[in-house]
Amino acid sequence: MTKPNLRSLNKMDFTKVVPTRNQKISDAPAKSLPPLSSYKANEIAAALHPKNQKLKVAKIIEQSSDVKSFILVADVESGTQSLAYFSAGQYLSITLNIGSSVITRPYSLSSSPKESLIGEYMLTVKRTGGGLASNYILDSWQVGTKVMASAPLGDFTYEPLRDAKQIIGLAGGSGITPFYSLAKAIADGDEDACLTLLYGSCTKADAIFQAEFEALAASCDRFRVINVLSEEPAEGCEQGFLTAELIRKYAPESGDYSIFICGPQAMYNFVDKEIATLGLRKKFIRHELFGEYRHPERDAAYSGCKDDSFHLTVSICGETKEISCNADDTLLVAMEKNGIAAPAHCRSGICGWCHSQLISGEVYVPKSVDGRRMADLQFGYIHPCCTFPLSDIVIDVPPFQA
Amino acid sequence: MDNCFDVIVVGAGNAGLVAAATTAKNGLKTLLLEKHNLPGGCATSFVRGRFEFEPSLHELASVGTEKAPDTVYKIFDQLGAKVDWRYEHNMFRAIVKGEAGYDVTVQSGIETFCDSMEQAVPGCRASVRALFDLVKKNNEALAYITKMKGKPNGLVMVLKHGDFMRVASHSVEEVMNALGMPEKARNIICTYWGYLGVPTDELNAMHFLNMLNCYVTDGAAMPYLRSHELSLALCKVIQDAGGQIWYNNEVTQFLNNEEGAVCGVVANGQKLYAKEVISNVIPHNVFNMYDQSKIPEIDLKLANAREFGISVATVYLGMDCTMEELGINDYTVFVMGDPNPRKQYENRETDGIYIVNCLNKVIPDSSPKGTCTLFFTIPVFGSDLPKNLKPEHYKMYKNQIAKKYIEDYEKLLGISIMPHIEEISIATPVTFARYLGTPDGTIYGYKLSDWDNLLSRISNEKNEYTIPGLSFCGGHAFRGDGYSSAYVTGDTVGKRIVKKIKGGI
Repeated sequence: MTKPNLRSLNKMDFTKVVPTRNQKISDAPAKSLPPLSSYKANEIAAALHPKNQKLKVAKIIEQSSDVKSFILVADVESGTQSLAYFSAGQYLSITLNIGSSVITRPYSLSSSPKESLIGEYMLTVKRTGGGLASNYILDSWQVGTKVMASAPLGDFTYEPLRDAKQIIGLAGGSGITPFYSLAKAIADGDEDACLTLLYGSCTKADAIFQAEFEALAASCDRFRVINVLSEEPAEGCEQGFLTAELIRKYAPESGDYSIFICGPQAMYNFVDKEIATLGLRKKFIRHELFGEYRHPERDAAYSGCKDDSFHLTVSICGETKEISCNADDTLLVAMEKNGIAAPAHCRSGICGWCHSQLISGEVYVPKSVDGRRMADLQFGYIHPCCTFPLSDIVIDVPPFQA
Repeated sequence: MDNCFDVIVVGAGNAGLVAAATTAKNGLKTLLLEKHNLPGGCATSFVRGRFEFEPSLHELASVGTEKAPDTVYKIFDQLGAKVDWRYEHNMFRAIVKGEAGYDVTVQSGIETFCDSMEQAVPGCRASVRALFDLVKKNNEALAYITKMKGKPNGLVMVLKHGDFMRVASHSVEEVMNALGMPEKARNIICTYWGYLGVPTDELNAMHFLNMLNCYVTDGAAMPYLRSHELSLALCKVIQDAGGQIWYNNEVTQFLNNEEGAVCGVVANGQKLYAKEVISNVIPHNVFNMYDQSKIPEIDLKLANAREFGISVATVYLGMDCTMEELGINDYTVFVMGDPNPRKQYENRETDGIYIVNCLNKVIPDSSPKGTCTLFFTIPVFGSDLPKNLKPEHYKMYKNQIAKKYIEDYEKLLGISIMPHIEEISIATPVTFARYLGTPDGTIYGYKLSDWDNLLSRISNEKNEYTIPGLSFCGGHAFRGDGYSSAYVTGDTVGKRIVKKIKGGI
């Protein structure tokens, strides 16, 4: 071994450190710096995750008396040049100005990822009883209507390293939309999976995309659809509900399968109990967003009174407004009702886009939709989209950004 | 609305948070602007299913304990930011594949570290011990330089601090070679190069030894509730002291006055003014938001002279089994295709170096009972991305990266990971470009390349970034990358601004 000899290093090199640096700087050009878009990583990030997407309605397809599909294209005049690519199962958060309110709603993309490359997204909207946003869209969107949308968002996607290749899709009502996208992505060869779709409707006439699904299934042996009708028998359809028995009937005979579920809350409540009897590991069960939480007063953990109303003080960038908030409205809905634009995307407690600070007051956050980070609980942060007031409340909210 | 402040801090990353906390706590009217809806920059967390992931922190250096506080502990403590620290005493396990390979675990504590090195490479103890003697000498020299207010007497330096001068002006490999350290011992210790992003034949020895010493003496510390806890603890300090934090406020322009000083910014289309602006945003981006004709030549040349630091690809796995069931026993494992750091760096896209962390080893309840998380880190540059990569192929691209490293680790340890993945998230330089907004998604600011090393940055700091009214702090600043360095720059710059405004300089 060599004898240790630090003295072999010239200590006077120390005196050259700064001169070397200054020489390097002096030798460099004083040219202006390239824009961020010139870097590959930033270019792809901007293409996949634009801050927003300015779209316009190019075409409207009447799927049935109460369902329309809207073909959206980039509104080049407003500054959006192309559409962001996405994964089947993702949604757009749409900003709507209804009366004096600015509200957002998540809508799953029903078009295929491939269609976004030719410049088209499709959203499919169904009329529902209390569907403020959906009914507004159905009644007011015309060809040419400008639409403000987010980048594609959400995690209800097929992940090849996580999910089984065999997917059983459970869809109810307008929860069919992400599966239409997934079926096309599989047929296009963009997702390497097989989809068996159990599609629950009341009657055959209520099932959307029937002809489209039949054509897809005929051309792609990795996709099939089984209509499950609760209110009438029909040839080639199952009758009843999305039960464990039905899942077992259509599940692969051997090997793992993943269940993907998207539908109204009543359906989640029903199928979750059914799935629990199948003994599947948690990783094989994927839910789409729960949707807006309603009726906190029905929860055993809820300690408030649903008829109460509270003062809600909202501070945004140092400006304060006082409004009232019903006990059974989330803080987000209260702000929207009172004309305060507040950030929100998933409206289901998960995405965290509405992340805000609870300055004072007592709140109720249903456990099933509490997607907060642990430190948020310790330091008093909330997701207003799934937070209900139990007292007068003061919150600090980031400004809305479309 | 009041739009005038003493201090505006742009960016709530680690350094921006500490800088804003420091100015607010010292009575300056402080506004912290953050483009995201969350604080922290890299220091955050994200939730997938029933898992909350640590996105970036591997081990925080220079923390120490209440009884033996080190730099970071002191910064948080002085600000009154409370953090629940957890510690890991095994520094790392280093596995090198192939015939020249080895599998060595080293522990913290100078004597135990030397013991584990001696066991791995018999006969290396004296040379390893000598490293820590050098750290002591470095600290004495730095204390003298500080005492002399940065203007040490040359003769005293040459006569009393010669070894410091040698260490501070040579690479890690040069110093280790001069100490007669066997190659294998050099390679094992140099495993840590990944945390500074520059291989050890180019990395400044003083810098590296300082980091090594921090990990060896303090061990590694982690916040109990992921890095989000660190960031929210600092936010609390800022707000308790009357400072404001505005989220969703992206700064798009830096304003200058007639004297050529920065006097404010534009955020969300609104003009906001301050006596001093502190940027946690990398100078490259700031200059693109400033009238470039007003940028002093030296600043523009410096920006052009610098190279960007490395970025990473990361894979976050939520596992539906425990670490014991998986067969994982370590918090930090470095896996390398070759023992030599330069080779690891050059082969980074094929078989270079990657790190696997299992946070449950340090914080058992960091994921639900019966589960654990794994965190893979692969150092790569944004410029390593395939030139023809298209957005529509990105998902496939990142899944290929994840698959490659998961399978490699499974094979190496003879364990089974893939069937237990309950949640997965994959990040690449594209992800960091998206969230941090840095050029090519660098997470390490500027590369600590030979001439742009820690010593040269610190020595020349006062002559650089000369626009009045504008200061920089962060991983891109004079202390180099890493959480602890960023905190230090936030602390230094914050205090400097307090002195400047309150002292009327």
